[in-house]
Amino acid sequence: MSGRRPGRPVRPPPPVSTALVLGVGGLFGYVASLPHLGGVAIALLGAGLAAGLRSTRSARVRAVAPIPLVVSVGLLAVVSPLGLVPEVLSGAAGLSILVWLADDPARAPGGVGRAGGTIVVPALALGIAGASALLLPSTSASVGVAAGLLVLALAALAFLFARPRPYDREEAATY
Amino acid sequence: MSRPSVSVASSRWRPLALFLLTSGALLLVGAVLVRSPVPIYLAIPLLLAAPAAAWAGPRGAPTGTLELRAEGSGTEVRLAGLFRATGRLEARDLTVLVERPPGLLEEGSARIEQGPSSLRFEYSWRAPEPTIAVVNPPRILWKDPLGLVERPVAVAAEPLVVARYPPELLRVGAVRLRRTSVLPGENPSSRIGATGEFHSLRTATSTDPPRVINWRASARAGRLVANEFELDRTGDVLLLLDARGTTLGPAVDERLLGIARAAALGIADSFLHEKTRVGVAVFSEFVQAVPLSTGRGHHLRLREALLSSRVGPAGVPSERGAVSVSRYYPPGVTTILFSSLTDDASAELVLGLRRRGYPVLVLSPSPLPILAEHSPLAPEDETLVARLVALTRRARIARSWKDAPTVDWDDYWSLGHFVKLLRHPTMRRVG
Repeated sequence: MSGRRPGRPVRPPPPVSTALVLGVGGLFGYVASLPHLGGVAIALLGAGLAAGLRSTRSARVRAVAPIPLVVSVGLLAVVSPLGLVPEVLSGAAGLSILVWLADDPARAPGGVGRAGGTIVVPALALGIAGASALLLPSTSASVGVAAGLLVLALAALAFLFARPRPYDREEAATY
Repeated sequence: MSRPSVSVASSRWRPLALFLLTSGALLLVGAVLVRSPVPIYLAIPLLLAAPAAAWAGPRGAPTGTLELRAEGSGTEVRLAGLFRATGRLEARDLTVLVERPPGLLEEGSARIEQGPSSLRFEYSWRAPEPTIAVVNPPRILWKDPLGLVERPVAVAAEPLVVARYPPELLRVGAVRLRRTSVLPGENPSSRIGATGEFHSLRTATSTDPPRVINWRASARAGRLVANEFELDRTGDVLLLLDARGTTLGPAVDERLLGIARAAALGIADSFLHEKTRVGVAVFSEFVQAVPLSTGRGHHLRLREALLSSRVGPAGVPSERGAVSVSRYYPPGVTTILFSSLTDDASAELVLGLRRRGYPVLVLSPSPLPILAEHSPLAPEDETLVARLVALTRRARIARSWKDAPTVDWDDYWSLGHFVKLLRHPTMRRVG
């Protein structure tokens, strides 16, 4: 027997989300201060490769499309200098990746709108981290606050991995 | 009939979620190594996306109703379904996974239409040869819009059984069979089919011909009333499938058995429609028999027996099959034997059945079209080999004719010759 996924025709790459990752990634690559605009090249290469892979008809190839995008942005985040602008652009790049993932041309249109509830949670966490970094006096303090948030997030994640049941609780049939 | 079961499964992380989590963890490590908060800001969305997707998804097991039907005629099979989501489930986040039955081939791409609360899909397949296919209900998965979490949707649906066989078999049930037993006082009728002794009146349907309408009774009742007749059963029929392994190999044997299964179901449907008693026996290593009976329930029993039949080992003595058949069925039952006649064992089975008083008619699905599909020979060699094999096959069919009327079934979508043979008893005389 052969399983088969629905043969939905792949739409052309969505322009808004593609432009978003290209723009944010390019800006992030520019502030990364690599010589000869190397950061911009890395960002554009990653985003372009991801968009190209996602527009193919093969489901297996489409599944690996996010890898170059995440790798290129992650590389820029590691090599970029300290500062408020790189921090903001780093968070924005993370959110733009989520928007890009939601706007999958192989699935039903309107994914970004339906993914609003999902994207708003990391956006809030970023907002908390950014606000604490701006309000606290030193850069090292902001690192501490962000790290604390991350520890909390990782603890929640470990809990979810170990017991995904909280989302499986049935609604009561009777009152 | 029991209600279809509804399985409730839990959420699962998709590979993309694991990739994002791994990337976030690596960025965290990188931030510590380079002593910079910038990677942490990138890691936050990647780490929180998957839990947020699970949180934003349906709380309980997503449910809905599924209407599933098989359409099409002849070789085409269309599986059409309509899923209606219940609750706040967004149908545009659903994915349909359909398992194509092994006897069917893809024919075009699937059509999927997704609305806010309903999902309509249609799959087109083609039956390259007669077959009975079981189509399992599709799996429906909810996936979050980012593709990070998935969860099966609980759907109550039963498998569909799709049967495709030559259209001539629809008429084969009207033939006059050899009478199995005459009860004391029974008066055999010369008529067959939907006529016989008057039984009762019933409300007429749109398919009733004018000759069965009782016009006087209709005038009295003010509505069309038809006569109901006691059908005169002329005999019983036994469908015997020789499912022993042959030298053709298990793959070819399995395909031939699939073709025989479909034809047997078509013949059984046609005879059961005429209220003839039908029995099915599958001779693999031993004989699995469904006794003679009629009715709708019996149709399901026969279908289940045919669907569960498998190719048995080779070298099983034919006498075992003939003896077993005589234990389940009275002598004189018209027996249609499905056998590829690849080796002499089938001929021995025919002789064994005839010795025990069963009038046998052999319907032999030819293996030649299947063998020609996978021939590794060059075209000119293939032509020569095909001629030689066809001559051998013809000689074998001729030898089988000495024992029983035999139909060489090489065009799988046509059984006109077989129906003609069955309709004219004089043509069935042998020897």
